[in-house]
Amino acid sequence: MIWEVFRQEGAGKYHTHCGNVHAPDREMALMFAQIQHGRRKPTHSIWVTPQQEIGEVNEDGATFGGTTDKGYRWATQYNITAAAEEVADSESEQADAEKERGRR
Amino acid sequence: MDLDTVKERAGPRQFSPDDDMPREYREAATRMIQFHANSEIMGAYLERPFIREAPSLDRKLAYSAKTQDELGHGQLLYRAAESLGIKTREQMLNELANGEGKFLNCFHYPMESWVETPMIAFFVDGAAMRRQATLKRTSWEPYAHAMDKVVFEEGFHIKHGESILKELATGSKKEQEMVQDAFETWWPRIIQFFGPTDDDSTHHDFSAEVGLKQMTNDELRQSFLNQYLPKAEKYGLEIPDTPTIEQDEDGNYRVAEDELDWEEFFQIAKNEYDPGRGQIDSRKRAHDAVEWVRETLDEYETTASGHAPQAAD
Ligand SMILES: [Fe+2]
Ligand SMILES: [Fe+2]
Repeated sequence: MIWEVFRQEGAGKYHTHCGNVHAPDREMALMFAQIQHGRRKPTHSIWVTPQQEIGEVNEDGATFGGTTDKGYRWATQYNITAAAEEVADSESEQADAEKERGRR
Repeated sequence: MDLDTVKERAGPRQFSPDDDMPREYREAATRMIQFHANSEIMGAYLERPFIREAPSLDRKLAYSAKTQDELGHGQLLYRAAESLGIKTREQMLNELANGEGKFLNCFHYPMESWVETPMIAFFVDGAAMRRQATLKRTSWEPYAHAMDKVVFEEGFHIKHGESILKELATGSKKEQEMVQDAFETWWPRIIQFFGPTDDDSTHHDFSAEVGLKQMTNDELRQSFLNQYLPKAEKYGLEIPDTPTIEQDEDGNYRVAEDELDWEEFFQIAKNEYDPGRGQIDSRKRAHDAVEWVRETLDEYETTASGHAPQAAD
Protein backbone atom coordinates (compact mmCIF):
# COMPACT_ATOMS: atom_id res chain seq x y z
CA MET A 1 0.00 0.00 0.00
CA ILE A 2 1.30 3.46 -0.92
CA TRP A 3 1.01 6.39 1.49
CA GLU A 4 1.65 9.98 0.45
CA VAL A 5 3.68 11.96 2.99
CA PHE A 6 3.34 15.63 3.94
CA ARG A 7 5.91 17.32 6.12
CA GLN A 8 5.43 20.46 8.21
CA GLU A 9 8.56 22.32 9.15
CA GLY A 10 7.21 24.41 12.02
CA ALA A 11 3.97 25.08 13.87
CA GLY A 12 1.50 27.05 11.76
CA LYS A 13 3.28 26.39 8.47
CA TYR A 14 1.78 24.40 5.63
CA HIS A 15 2.27 20.66 5.36
CA THR A 16 3.99 20.17 2.02
CA HIS A 17 4.12 17.02 0.02
CA CYS A 18 7.55 15.40 0.18
CA GLY A 19 7.15 11.92 -1.27
CA ASN A 20 5.59 8.57 -0.42
CA VAL A 21 6.26 5.38 1.53
CA HIS A 22 5.10 1.78 1.16
CA ALA A 23 3.56 0.37 4.32
CA PRO A 24 0.84 -2.12 5.27
CA ASP A 25 -0.98 0.23 7.67
CA ARG A 26 -1.16 3.80 8.95
CA GLU A 27 1.00 3.19 11.99
CA MET A 28 3.82 1.71 9.94
CA ALA A 29 3.41 4.43 7.35
CA LEU A 30 3.88 7.08 10.03
CA MET A 31 6.96 5.32 11.30
CA PHE A 32 8.54 4.98 7.85
CA ALA A 33 7.67 8.58 7.05
CA GLN A 34 9.46 9.74 10.20
CA ILE A 35 12.56 7.80 9.28
CA GLN A 36 12.56 8.89 5.68
CA HIS A 37 11.47 12.50 5.94
CA GLY A 38 11.75 13.63 9.56
CA ARG A 39 15.29 12.66 10.44
CA ARG A 40 17.55 15.07 8.62
CA LYS A 41 15.27 18.06 8.27
CA PRO A 42 13.62 20.11 11.02
CA THR A 43 10.12 18.71 11.32
CA HIS A 44 7.19 19.67 13.46
CA SER A 45 4.58 17.25 12.16
CA ILE A 46 4.01 14.65 9.48
CA TRP A 47 0.82 13.56 7.74
CA VAL A 48 0.28 10.37 5.81
CA THR A 49 -2.68 9.51 3.66
CA PRO A 50 -3.46 6.50 1.45
CA GLN A 51 -2.60 7.41 -2.13
CA GLN A 52 -6.05 6.50 -3.45
CA GLU A 53 -7.59 9.07 -1.08
CA ILE A 54 -5.98 11.96 -2.96
CA GLY A 55 -8.26 13.81 -5.35
CA GLU A 56 -6.64 15.15 -8.49
CA VAL A 57 -7.45 17.34 -11.44
CA ASN A 58 -4.67 18.00 -13.97
CA GLU A 59 -4.08 20.26 -16.94
CA ASP A 60 -5.90 17.88 -19.28
CA GLY A 61 -9.09 18.33 -17.31
CA ALA A 62 -8.90 21.97 -16.28
CA THR A 63 -7.72 25.35 -17.44
CA PHE A 64 -5.35 26.62 -14.79
CA GLY A 65 -4.18 30.19 -14.53
CA GLY A 66 -0.72 31.68 -14.31
CA THR A 67 0.52 30.84 -17.81
CA THR A 68 -0.33 33.99 -19.78
CA ASP A 69 2.18 36.81 -19.81
CA LYS A 70 0.79 39.48 -17.53
CA GLY A 71 3.93 41.33 -16.59
CA TYR A 72 1.99 44.32 -15.33
CA ARG A 73 0.59 42.37 -12.38
CA TRP A 74 3.95 41.42 -10.87
CA ALA A 75 5.85 43.47 -8.32
CA THR A 76 9.11 42.37 -9.95
CA GLN A 77 8.25 44.33 -13.10
CA TYR A 78 8.31 47.70 -11.38
CA ASN A 79 11.70 49.29 -11.25
CA ILE A 80 11.36 50.62 -7.71
CA THR A 81 12.93 49.55 -4.43
CA ALA A 82 10.36 47.95 -2.11
CA ALA A 83 8.93 50.55 0.28
CA ALA A 84 8.95 48.25 3.29
CA GLU A 85 10.08 44.85 4.50
CA GLU A 86 6.71 43.22 3.87
CA VAL A 87 6.65 44.62 0.33
CA ALA A 88 10.08 43.11 -0.32
CA ASP A 89 8.88 39.76 1.10
CA SER A 90 5.82 39.79 -1.13
CA GLU A 91 8.01 40.61 -4.11
CA SER A 92 10.36 37.72 -3.45
CA GLU A 93 7.42 35.32 -3.09
CA GLN A 94 6.25 36.57 -6.47
CA ALA A 95 9.74 36.12 -7.92
CA ASP A 96 9.69 32.48 -6.75
CA ALA A 97 6.29 31.95 -8.37
CA GLU A 98 7.64 33.48 -11.57
CA LYS A 99 10.63 31.14 -11.55
CA GLU A 100 8.30 28.17 -11.19
CA ARG A 101 6.29 29.38 -14.17
CA GLY A 102 9.49 29.74 -16.21
CA ARG A 103 10.41 26.13 -15.48
CA ARG A 104 7.41 24.80 -17.37
CA MET B 1 -13.40 25.58 24.81
CA ASP B 2 -13.83 28.17 27.54
CA LEU B 3 -12.50 31.69 27.33
CA ASP B 4 -9.64 31.12 29.76
CA THR B 5 -8.34 28.21 27.70
CA VAL B 6 -8.61 30.35 24.57
CA LYS B 7 -6.53 33.09 26.17
CA GLU B 8 -4.02 30.58 27.42
CA ARG B 9 -3.62 28.88 24.05
CA ALA B 10 -3.85 32.05 21.96
CA GLY B 11 -1.03 32.14 19.41
CA PRO B 12 -0.43 32.26 15.67
CA ARG B 13 -2.86 30.03 13.72
CA GLN B 14 -3.91 28.30 16.94
CA PHE B 15 -7.62 27.89 16.24
CA SER B 16 -9.51 26.43 13.30
CA PRO B 17 -13.06 25.28 12.50
CA ASP B 18 -12.15 21.96 14.20
CA ASP B 19 -12.06 23.73 17.56
CA ASP B 20 -15.13 24.43 19.57
CA MET B 21 -14.69 28.17 20.08
CA PRO B 22 -16.72 30.25 22.53
CA ARG B 23 -19.23 32.69 21.14
CA GLU B 24 -17.25 35.78 22.28
CA TYR B 25 -14.28 34.68 20.20
CA ARG B 26 -16.36 33.86 17.15
CA GLU B 27 -18.17 37.18 17.34
CA ALA B 28 -15.01 39.24 17.76
CA ALA B 29 -13.31 37.42 14.89
CA THR B 30 -16.37 37.82 12.68
CA ARG B 31 -16.52 41.56 13.39
CA MET B 32 -12.85 41.97 12.54
CA ILE B 33 -12.79 39.84 9.38
CA GLN B 34 -16.08 41.18 8.06
CA PHE B 35 -14.74 44.74 8.46
CA HIS B 36 -11.63 43.72 6.58
CA ALA B 37 -13.61 42.00 3.80
CA ASN B 38 -15.95 44.99 3.40
CA SER B 39 -12.94 47.29 3.16
CA GLU B 40 -11.43 45.24 0.33
CA ILE B 41 -14.68 45.47 -1.62
CA MET B 42 -15.25 49.19 -0.98
CA GLY B 43 -11.63 49.94 -1.89
CA ALA B 44 -12.02 48.09 -5.17
CA TYR B 45 -15.12 50.08 -6.07
CA LEU B 46 -13.41 53.34 -5.14
CA GLU B 47 -10.58 52.57 -7.55
CA ARG B 48 -12.66 51.00 -10.30
CA PRO B 49 -13.34 54.26 -12.25
CA PHE B 50 -9.59 54.69 -12.67
CA ILE B 51 -9.31 51.64 -14.89
CA ARG B 52 -11.05 53.86 -17.43
CA GLU B 53 -9.23 57.05 -16.40
CA ALA B 54 -5.74 55.53 -16.49
CA PRO B 55 -3.44 57.46 -18.83
CA SER B 56 -1.85 54.46 -20.57
CA LEU B 57 -2.62 50.89 -21.53
CA ASP B 58 -0.10 49.54 -19.01
CA ARG B 59 -1.69 51.49 -16.19
CA LYS B 60 -5.14 50.35 -17.28
CA LEU B 61 -4.13 46.70 -17.25
CA ALA B 62 -2.39 47.05 -13.91
CA TYR B 63 -5.33 48.91 -12.41
CA SER B 64 -7.83 46.32 -13.59
CA ALA B 65 -5.60 43.53 -12.24
CA LYS B 66 -5.33 45.29 -8.89
CA THR B 67 -9.08 45.86 -8.65
CA GLN B 68 -9.67 42.21 -9.48
CA ASP B 69 -7.24 41.24 -6.70
CA GLU B 70 -9.03 43.43 -4.13
CA LEU B 71 -12.42 41.89 -4.93
CA GLY B 72 -10.80 38.48 -4.62
CA HIS B 73 -9.41 39.47 -1.20
CA GLY B 74 -12.92 40.42 -0.14
CA GLN B 75 -14.29 37.04 -1.23
CA LEU B 76 -11.48 35.12 0.50
CA LEU B 77 -12.13 37.03 3.70
CA TYR B 78 -15.89 36.47 3.63
CA ARG B 79 -15.06 32.77 3.43
CA ALA B 80 -12.74 33.06 6.43
CA ALA B 81 -15.44 34.94 8.36
CA GLU B 82 -18.13 32.47 7.35
CA SER B 83 -16.08 29.62 8.82
CA LEU B 84 -16.77 31.08 12.29
CA GLY B 85 -20.43 30.16 12.00
CA ILE B 86 -21.85 33.53 13.05
CA LYS B 87 -22.86 35.03 9.70
CA THR B 88 -23.19 33.75 6.17
CA ARG B 89 -21.52 35.42 3.23
CA GLU B 90 -24.95 36.38 1.92
CA GLN B 91 -25.73 38.14 5.19
CA MET B 92 -22.47 40.07 5.18
CA LEU B 93 -22.95 41.20 1.58
CA ASN B 94 -26.49 42.29 2.41
CA GLU B 95 -25.22 44.27 5.37
CA LEU B 96 -22.70 45.98 3.14
CA ALA B 97 -25.41 46.88 0.63
CA ASN B 98 -27.87 48.24 3.18
CA GLY B 99 -25.33 50.41 4.96
CA GLU B 100 -24.87 48.33 8.13
CA GLY B 101 -21.50 46.88 7.13
CA LYS B 102 -18.56 48.87 8.46
CA PHE B 103 -15.33 49.50 6.58
CA LEU B 104 -12.11 51.58 6.59
CA ASN B 105 -12.37 55.35 6.95
CA CYS B 106 -10.36 56.12 3.79
CA PHE B 107 -12.86 54.37 1.54
CA HIS B 108 -15.69 56.66 2.61
CA TYR B 109 -14.16 59.54 0.65
CA PRO B 110 -14.75 59.72 -3.08
CA MET B 111 -11.78 60.06 -5.40
CA GLU B 112 -12.06 62.53 -8.22
CA SER B 113 -8.85 62.61 -10.13
CA TRP B 114 -6.03 60.36 -11.31
CA VAL B 115 -3.50 62.29 -9.20
CA GLU B 116 -5.25 60.97 -6.09
CA THR B 117 -4.72 57.31 -6.99
CA PRO B 118 -1.30 56.92 -5.32
CA MET B 119 -2.87 58.15 -2.06
CA ILE B 120 -4.85 54.92 -2.02
CA ALA B 121 -2.66 52.61 -4.07
CA PHE B 122 0.58 53.54 -2.32
CA PHE B 123 -0.16 55.02 1.10
CA VAL B 124 -3.40 53.29 2.06
CA ASP B 125 -2.36 49.94 0.58
CA GLY B 126 1.00 50.43 2.26
CA ALA B 127 -0.66 51.08 5.61
CA ALA B 128 -3.00 48.13 5.10
CA MET B 129 -0.13 45.86 4.22
CA ARG B 130 1.72 46.77 7.41
CA ARG B 131 -1.28 45.50 9.34
CA GLN B 132 -1.92 42.52 7.06
CA ALA B 133 1.66 41.27 7.35
CA THR B 134 1.13 41.04 11.14
CA LEU B 135 -2.18 39.21 10.62
CA LYS B 136 -0.37 36.25 9.09
CA ARG B 137 0.09 35.43 12.77
CA THR B 138 -3.54 35.83 13.80
CA SER B 139 -5.03 33.03 15.89
CA TRP B 140 -7.93 32.19 13.51
CA GLU B 141 -6.21 29.94 11.00
CA PRO B 142 -8.53 30.51 8.01
CA TYR B 143 -7.88 34.26 8.42
CA ALA B 144 -4.11 33.68 8.43
CA HIS B 145 -4.41 31.54 5.31
CA ALA B 146 -6.32 34.32 3.55
CA MET B 147 -3.51 36.71 4.56
CA ASP B 148 -0.92 34.46 2.89
CA LYS B 149 -2.54 35.04 -0.48
CA VAL B 150 -3.41 38.69 0.16
CA VAL B 151 0.12 39.60 1.19
CA PHE B 152 1.53 37.67 -1.75
CA GLU B 153 -0.45 39.91 -4.10
CA GLU B 154 -0.12 43.22 -2.27
CA GLY B 155 3.56 43.68 -3.17
CA PHE B 156 2.46 44.40 -6.71
CA HIS B 157 -0.22 46.89 -5.60
CA ILE B 158 2.21 48.95 -3.57
CA LYS B 159 4.97 49.02 -6.14
CA HIS B 160 2.45 49.92 -8.82
CA GLY B 161 1.10 52.71 -6.60
CA GLU B 162 4.58 53.99 -5.88
CA SER B 163 5.39 53.91 -9.56
CA ILE B 164 2.41 56.22 -10.26
CA LEU B 165 3.51 58.50 -7.42
CA LYS B 166 7.03 58.61 -8.79
CA GLU B 167 5.79 59.42 -12.28
CA LEU B 168 3.66 62.32 -11.02
CA ALA B 169 6.23 63.61 -8.55
CA THR B 170 8.92 63.76 -11.21
CA GLY B 171 6.53 65.04 -13.88
CA SER B 172 5.57 68.55 -14.92
CA LYS B 173 5.31 71.39 -12.41
CA LYS B 174 1.52 71.17 -12.73
CA GLU B 175 1.55 67.45 -11.92
CA GLN B 176 3.77 68.04 -8.92
CA GLU B 177 1.41 70.68 -7.59
CA MET B 178 -1.62 68.51 -8.14
CA VAL B 179 -0.10 65.54 -6.37
CA GLN B 180 0.89 67.79 -3.45
CA ASP B 181 -2.73 69.03 -3.24
CA ALA B 182 -4.01 65.46 -3.24
CA PHE B 183 -1.50 64.55 -0.56
CA GLU B 184 -2.68 67.42 1.67
CA THR B 185 -6.28 66.29 1.30
CA TRP B 186 -5.56 62.64 2.03
CA TRP B 187 -2.77 62.81 4.61
CA PRO B 188 -4.94 63.35 7.74
CA ARG B 189 -7.27 60.53 6.64
CA ILE B 190 -4.30 58.25 6.12
CA ILE B 191 -3.04 59.03 9.64
CA GLN B 192 -6.52 58.26 10.96
CA PHE B 193 -6.45 54.89 9.16
CA PHE B 194 -5.00 53.35 12.32
CA GLY B 195 -7.71 54.83 14.49
CA PRO B 196 -7.27 56.88 17.63
CA THR B 197 -4.70 56.11 20.32
CA ASP B 198 -5.20 52.75 21.99
CA ASP B 199 -6.81 53.97 25.20
CA ASP B 200 -9.80 54.95 23.09
CA SER B 201 -10.07 51.70 21.15
CA THR B 202 -12.82 49.52 22.57
CA HIS B 203 -12.22 46.24 20.78
CA HIS B 204 -8.48 45.94 20.98
CA ASP B 205 -7.94 44.39 24.39
CA PHE B 206 -10.07 41.34 23.85
CA SER B 207 -8.83 40.78 20.28
CA ALA B 208 -5.24 40.95 21.49
CA GLU B 209 -5.88 38.59 24.40
CA VAL B 210 -7.29 35.91 22.14
CA GLY B 211 -4.55 36.40 19.55
CA LEU B 212 -6.71 37.82 16.78
CA LYS B 213 -4.75 41.07 16.62
CA GLN B 214 -1.00 41.04 16.75
CA MET B 215 -0.13 44.71 17.05
CA THR B 216 -1.83 47.73 18.58
CA ASN B 217 -3.04 50.73 16.57
CA ASP B 218 -0.25 52.83 18.04
CA GLU B 219 2.48 50.38 17.10
CA LEU B 220 1.11 50.10 13.59
CA ARG B 221 0.79 53.87 13.13
CA GLN B 222 4.35 54.26 14.38
CA SER B 223 5.77 51.64 12.06
CA PHE B 224 3.80 53.06 9.14
CA LEU B 225 5.20 56.55 9.74
CA ASN B 226 8.72 55.16 10.11
CA GLN B 227 8.47 53.51 6.75
CA TYR B 228 6.31 55.80 4.66
CA LEU B 229 6.98 59.32 5.89
CA PRO B 230 10.52 59.23 4.45
CA LYS B 231 9.01 57.92 1.21
CA ALA B 232 6.72 60.94 0.93
CA GLU B 233 9.70 63.21 1.52
CA LYS B 234 11.77 61.31 -1.01
CA TYR B 235 9.23 62.21 -3.70
CA GLY B 236 9.36 65.85 -2.71
CA LEU B 237 5.98 65.87 -0.97
CA GLU B 238 5.70 68.41 1.77
CA ILE B 239 4.21 66.96 4.95
CA PRO B 240 1.19 69.12 5.86
CA ASP B 241 1.38 71.18 9.08
CA THR B 242 -1.71 69.49 10.49
CA PRO B 243 -1.50 67.24 12.35
CA THR B 244 1.80 68.25 13.92
CA ILE B 245 4.20 65.32 13.84
CA GLU B 246 7.30 65.45 15.97
CA GLN B 247 10.15 63.03 16.27
CA ASP B 248 11.51 62.31 19.74
CA GLU B 249 15.17 61.50 20.42
CA ASP B 250 14.57 57.77 19.86
CA GLY B 251 13.36 58.56 16.37
CA ASN B 252 9.73 57.78 17.22
CA TYR B 253 7.03 59.95 15.74
CA ARG B 254 4.49 61.71 17.91
CA VAL B 255 1.27 62.77 16.23
CA ALA B 256 -0.76 65.61 17.74
CA GLU B 257 -3.94 63.62 17.45
CA ASP B 258 -6.25 66.24 18.86
CA GLU B 259 -5.65 68.28 15.70
CA LEU B 260 -7.42 65.62 13.64
CA ASP B 261 -11.14 65.64 12.93
CA TRP B 262 -12.38 62.78 15.12
CA GLU B 263 -15.96 63.90 14.87
CA GLU B 264 -15.87 63.13 11.16
CA PHE B 265 -13.99 59.91 11.87
CA PHE B 266 -16.64 58.60 14.26
CA GLN B 267 -19.42 59.73 11.96
CA ILE B 268 -17.71 57.66 9.27
CA ALA B 269 -17.33 54.73 11.67
CA LYS B 270 -21.12 54.70 12.02
CA ASN B 271 -21.65 54.96 8.24
CA GLU B 272 -23.27 58.34 8.78
CA TYR B 273 -20.93 60.50 6.71
CA ASP B 274 -22.76 61.69 3.60
CA PRO B 275 -20.02 61.14 0.98
CA GLY B 276 -19.48 57.68 2.50
CA ARG B 277 -23.17 56.86 2.17
CA GLY B 278 -22.78 57.87 -1.47
CA GLN B 279 -19.96 55.32 -1.82
CA ILE B 280 -22.09 52.59 -0.24
CA ASP B 281 -25.05 53.33 -2.49
CA SER B 282 -23.06 53.63 -5.68
CA ARG B 283 -21.43 50.27 -4.99
CA LYS B 284 -24.85 48.76 -4.46
CA ARG B 285 -26.11 50.20 -7.74
CA ALA B 286 -23.05 48.98 -9.65
CA HIS B 287 -23.45 45.53 -8.06
CA ASP B 288 -27.17 45.37 -8.88
CA ALA B 289 -26.56 46.52 -12.45
CA VAL B 290 -24.57 43.39 -13.22
CA GLU B 291 -27.03 40.97 -11.65
CA TRP B 292 -27.65 39.66 -15.19
CA VAL B 293 -23.99 38.63 -15.46
CA ARG B 294 -24.20 36.56 -12.28
CA GLU B 295 -27.46 35.01 -13.43
CA THR B 296 -26.02 34.17 -16.83
CA LEU B 297 -22.96 32.60 -15.22
CA ASP B 298 -25.06 30.56 -12.79
CA GLU B 299 -27.19 29.35 -15.65
CA TYR B 300 -24.15 28.52 -17.71
CA GLU B 301 -22.58 26.59 -14.86
CA THR B 302 -25.68 24.50 -14.22
CA THR B 303 -26.40 23.72 -17.88
CA ALA B 304 -23.00 23.68 -19.67
CA SER B 305 -21.34 20.30 -19.71
CA GLY B 306 -17.85 19.20 -20.61
CA HIS B 307 -16.64 22.79 -20.73
CA ALA B 308 -14.10 23.79 -18.11
CA PRO B 309 -14.53 27.43 -17.10
CA GLN B 310 -11.57 29.68 -17.83
CA ALA B 311 -9.46 30.25 -14.73
CA ALA B 312 -9.23 33.83 -13.55
CA ASP B 313 -5.48 34.32 -13.36
FE1 LIG C 1 -6.34 43.94 -0.75
FE1 LIG D 1 -4.22 46.12 -2.32
